[in-house]
This record gives sequence, C-alpha cells and structure tokens, in this order.
Amino acid sequence: MNALVRFELRDSALEVPALLAELAHPAAGAVVSFDGRIRNHNEGHHVVALEYQAYAALAVPTGRQILEEEAARHEVLGIVAVHRCGPVGIGESAVWVGVAAEHRQAAFRAAEAVMERLKYELPVWKKETYGNGSSEWVGPDRLHPATGAVREGDPEWKARLEQIWISAGNDFRGHHGRQRGDHGILAVAEAECVAGMGIRGDRYFGYKPDFKGQVTFMDAEVIEAVRKHSARPELSGGEFRRNLIVRGVRLGDWIGRRFVFQGITFEGTEECKPCDWMDQAVAPGTEEFLKSACRGGIRARILTGGVLRVAGSC
Amino acid sequence: MNTYHLHYFGLLADRRGSREETLQHPPCTALELFHHVFSASGEASSAGNRAAVNDAFVPWDHVLADGDRIAFMPPMSGG
Repeated sequence: MNALVRFELRDSALEVPALLAELAHPAAGAVVSFDGRIRNHNEGHHVVALEYQAYAALAVPTGRQILEEEAARHEVLGIVAVHRCGPVGIGESAVWVGVAAEHRQAAFRAAEAVMERLKYELPVWKKETYGNGSSEWVGPDRLHPATGAVREGDPEWKARLEQIWISAGNDFRGHHGRQRGDHGILAVAEAECVAGMGIRGDRYFGYKPDFKGQVTFMDAEVIEAVRKHSARPELSGGEFRRNLIVRGVRLGDWIGRRFVFQGITFEGTEECKPCDWMDQAVAPGTEEFLKSACRGGIRARILTGGVLRVAGSC
Repeated sequence: MNTYHLHYFGLLADRRGSREETLQHPPCTALELFHHVFSASGEASSAGNRAAVNDAFVPWDHVLADGDRIAFMPPMSGG
C-alpha cells in the first residue's frame, strides 16, 4: 500500500486541525491520533519548564524511517507525526502521531508502535527544570539518561554476548519437504535492536506485529556440547540460526519474564524449539539433543530499543 | 593527523562542557575518539550511547575520515 508518510520536527506550537486534515482519505474508516503533552510533574518532581534538544539533521530522516517502516507493516493509509524541539510549555503538545487506516485495529496499532519508537530512536533529548530551580536531562521512561540502563524494576542479565548472527532470509522455516534455503548468515559485532520489530537487517525484522520471535538467544555452552556430541569441533555458531549466542545465563528461566541485557529490555516468550533440519545441518541426533532442557534457546520480544555489542568489541 | 568536527548532545554536551569543537587526532574509530574525548570526565563507557558520522548512524568500530562530522549521543529521550 502506498501510504502517505510525513514526519516533522517543529520549534513552534502544533496545529492539530491542520494535521488531521492531512489524514483525510476517502477510504479511511479510522483515524487514531495521539497527543503527547508536557505535564507539570515527573517522578515526584514539580516540573516548571521543559526543553528538547534535537539533532535535526539526523532526527528528520530517522523519524521518517520509523514512519515508513510502521506504514509498511500495518495496513494504513497514512501516518503523520510531529515532534517539538526547543522549549515547550506545560500543557503544550510535545509530540503528535496520527494514523489513517481502513480499519481501527491497524490505526491503533500503528499509532502506538510509532509513538513507542519515537521515544527511543529519535535523536532528541529532554531537559526538565524543576520548581527549586534545578534542571536535569531525563532518560526515556525509567531508563538512565547516561547509559539507557534500567534504574529499577526488571532484572539485569550478568551474561556475556559472544556472537551475533543475522540473516536476510529463512533457510529452514517454510522449507519443509524442500531444499533448505541458502541465504547465508552473517556474524556482526553490533546489532541494532528495534522495539517491537527485531534486529535491523535480520529476516524477522518487522515480520509481524507483536511477533514472539523478534530475536532468539542460544547458550554458547550448548553449542560447545553439540560440537563435542557430533564430533564437529569446527561447527559454526551460525549453523543453529539463532541471533544471539550468550554465556552465563540459564535461558530456560526467562520464558515469560522481562529482563535487561546491555541496557535493552527484552521479554522471553517461548522455547526456541529445534527442528529436524538440525539433523541435516549439523549431525543426526542434534534435534533430539536440543529438545531437552531448553537447549534450543529462547525467543524474545524487544521492549526497548538499543544497540547490542559482542563482548570485547567495546 | 586528521581533523574531526565533533558535536555533543544532551548529557554528553554537559559533560564535555560544550556542544561542538574541532580536534586534531590520529586516524581512529568512533569508539577510540569517544574514549579520547570522555575518558577524562569519567564517562569512558560508551554503553547505551550512539555515534553518527556526517548525519548517519554508524557502528562504534566505524573508521573516521579526515574532515568527518562526528556526533556522540546519549540514549534518546523523545516523547
């Protein structure tokens, strides 16, 4: 669908009626808009003023890319979003997102997805000034403004990220009874995790809304055990086609739980069950070996975005 | 020596005490330059931060070229 997409960074008040008029479309059965305003309190502090610093030359293309990506994965007719920069008064609109779609569900979903991503991906930074005259840069939601790490709440993994694997296409999924695919798999030192979407550049990026397998984790010790078990010491960690090879965490413990790893919040969704391709790709018996004790790893959703790095590369 | 034009945002601008500056530095990666600039202020970890070169995001191992405009950014806080 060729959707209308417009993103704007603006240093003056938003004009909501004009924004809504942009979304007028004869096929639209739903228009959902979100109006994010500056409130007079935050985390127990009385806020008297707020200012956004923006990296405009990067924020405009980044905002536009977010809208294009969300327009592509939701059935929408148009998305318009505006973010303020500079000082914004209490009660004023700081960010506005509007979505037109044929049906309400797509409009609600796309609006929420765009809003979540603008918070974590748009290169703008907010500074609050409080009633006592002090001011402070504030992080996104509960995240620390300097590191992006959670300040409270979700437990943090004390794990080591050993490898990151991404692939442009599926080699196994959807290939039952046929030849395996041959998209290759790429080891990278860094990967951008986008909330609700997946790893940029990976086959499951933006696969579908609320997808349970936005990212997959596997234990480095399991890979070592398979190498031994199958007498294939040269076996690459990429053969398993999981994204993140980690050490020092019991993956099976994290299904249905939120956790923080390298400042990014994930939610474990389910066991990443091995398939019978493993017997062909690795060695007979591999599928059976991976079936128990969650050795196949886990699948997870990305709740807040950020960049993962392999240990030793930073 | 290369010439690098640096831009800092949010908390990092406060830490550095300026929004922008131009530095001479031997050829290096974005991460090496980050460490060079911030090691003195106790902000030597790039965890959670991002780098951009000439207005596009880059990975930390990106090798910088003479005359590049480099931005160092703390975690975004839009919305």
